[in-house]
Amino acid sequence: MKHVLLLLAALAAGAGAAAQPKPDGKTLFARNCAACHQLDGRGIPGAFPALATSPVVVGAANEAAEVLLKGRGGMPAFSGSLDDTEIAEVLTYARSSWGNRAGAVSGPEVQARRSALGVAPPTRSRFGNKH
Amino acid sequence: MNGSTLALALTRREFLHRAAAVGGSALLLNTMNAWGIGIASRVTAPPALSGSGKGKKVVVLGAGLAGLSAAFELRKLGYEVQVLEARPFAGGRCQSARKGFALQELGGEAQQCRFDDGHYINHGPWRIPLDHQSTLYYTRLFDVPLEVMVNENDHAFVYLEDGGPLSKQRLRGAQIKADMRGHVAELLAKSVQGHQLDAALGADDQMLLLDYLRREGALESGDLAYKGRNGRGYAVNPGAGLMPGAGTPSDPLAFRDLLAAKVGKVYSAVQDFPMHATMFQPVGGMDAIPRAFARRLGGAIRYNAEVQRITQNADKVTLDIRDAASGKLSSVQADYCLCTVPLSVLRMIDSNFSDGFKAAIKAVPYAPVGKIGLQMRRRFWEEDDHIYGGHVLTDIPGINTISLPSSGWQQRKGVLLGYYHYALDAIEVSALSLQERTELALAAGEKIFPGYRSDFESAFSVAWHRVKYSLGGWAEWNDAARQNAYPALLEGEGRVMLAGEHLSYLTGWQAGAIESSWQQIERLHRRASA
Repeated sequence: MKHVLLLLAALAAGAGAAAQPKPDGKTLFARNCAACHQLDGRGIPGAFPALATSPVVVGAANEAAEVLLKGRGGMPAFSGSLDDTEIAEVLTYARSSWGNRAGAVSGPEVQARRSALGVAPPTRSRFGNKH
Repeated sequence: MNGSTLALALTRREFLHRAAAVGGSALLLNTMNAWGIGIASRVTAPPALSGSGKGKKVVVLGAGLAGLSAAFELRKLGYEVQVLEARPFAGGRCQSARKGFALQELGGEAQQCRFDDGHYINHGPWRIPLDHQSTLYYTRLFDVPLEVMVNENDHAFVYLEDGGPLSKQRLRGAQIKADMRGHVAELLAKSVQGHQLDAALGADDQMLLLDYLRREGALESGDLAYKGRNGRGYAVNPGAGLMPGAGTPSDPLAFRDLLAAKVGKVYSAVQDFPMHATMFQPVGGMDAIPRAFARRLGGAIRYNAEVQRITQNADKVTLDIRDAASGKLSSVQADYCLCTVPLSVLRMIDSNFSDGFKAAIKAVPYAPVGKIGLQMRRRFWEEDDHIYGGHVLTDIPGINTISLPSSGWQQRKGVLLGYYHYALDAIEVSALSLQERTELALAAGEKIFPGYRSDFESAFSVAWHRVKYSLGGWAEWNDAARQNAYPALLEGEGRVMLAGEHLSYLTGWQAGAIESSWQQIERLHRRASA
């Protein structure tokens, strides 16, 4: 229940103007990634790749950023829902957790990759009527 | 001069302009449809194929709508068809949850639907538009009874939590539609009258526009003011005698309040294609369609057949299979394979596809999508609020829409759709436990309908990106993947061809799956007949 209240608060912060502290990489990971890749980064064999021991995660920062910006292999793009700082935060968390030892990624690095790929800024759009 | 010669001399756009000028919109639409850039799904029946598939075997991977329609059509041509389906039932993502239906998401808890007998939720596809004549071809052919699905209901609520002066009010769609049109019409009409549009419109057109605006916006004929209209609803409805007698008209919402509320973020009077005010649903659940196919295909579908490896050589395709129930391993050979497995799943299956083809399979993201069905002990939306079907639109985080059922009118209980969301909402909510998802849905619904929580009985939720054998709601193409991967995937490789909603521009629709199969079996048949 506490989890859901935190989420509601976080969702409300996204929708409204109320200033809330920016979530850190770990929080962003729990909210945006863990449903599939699991909190321990081990994924689910046959479905969701492990991020622990993943060469993509600890590889070149701009390539890891590209995976989040454009989506890949069944994973959705996060370019519309996370800004460059948030993508950097969550990448930095994944690159330094579960035994991974790769360097931090900065917001400007993600921003540069976003503009090089021609990916639009986040709209954070949540409403729609599809299918 | 025929169209293509002319089109070479002109740009396509110029040609369309001229086609419209000469032949009106009908010629324009025909021309666009002939070029494959029309707006309607043009295919209304399976391809009429000649020749025979006798003596040739095709293995179809997946008993979703793509696999089922391919198998059904290929068998008519005489092919020996075997469908391998990993689940113990047919339908793929086309599922209806009713009492006893079990679904355990990957990384999630076991879940069994506990709705009362006769109640269900279409947690997969749930509405069929008139444009999808391919889907309607099979419902007609198989005598699957349809009923109207109310997809737009002006009487349903628009509830904005963050709507400025209109926050936390149960607005009706009809009020917003009438008042926004009325206010905008008034403003525009007064601008015409004040000569502010003289540069844009000649005197005759100004008169025509004023005439239109008076009717469309229900403006007073004298001062062109919008003072409300009965289509937005009465404060007290008219009735018998003196009380309520003629009833009491309602006052319009103020223009500035509507603007400040930013109603447009959840509300539009015109929906995107192919949404219509009324759509169709099979009586008793969308899975009536795959069930109708499965009855006709009988033993041609092998259930619990989880494909582990796809290999091919110049002569044969071999599918290595694990029986999901017994764990037993086996293999099947065929001359051709039509693979309808979602790309999000196919990418994890071992194969001897070329590196290029594997890369194309991996290039396509899938949409995170979530739904929750909530059984209510009382149809309070009908009994108290007189809402019969349609969607409640809201900006309450994580919900997107609450949809009221289009069947079982005036019965005692009902199952409503408590949220239907995509993208970040779907991802975030999928990280919650089943109980937390239910709590999120109930907390939101309670704000709009008093008693929502106390009338709640049981829930069934799905996050499609976590569903084994699906791993996503639908393919969500980006421009680069459409350009690079799409042609390669359409082509297939060797004796394996692909089909499914992912290989269409009708992604996420059953029609996309069916029409993709219709196209691909034509190509497969041509290849097999060569």
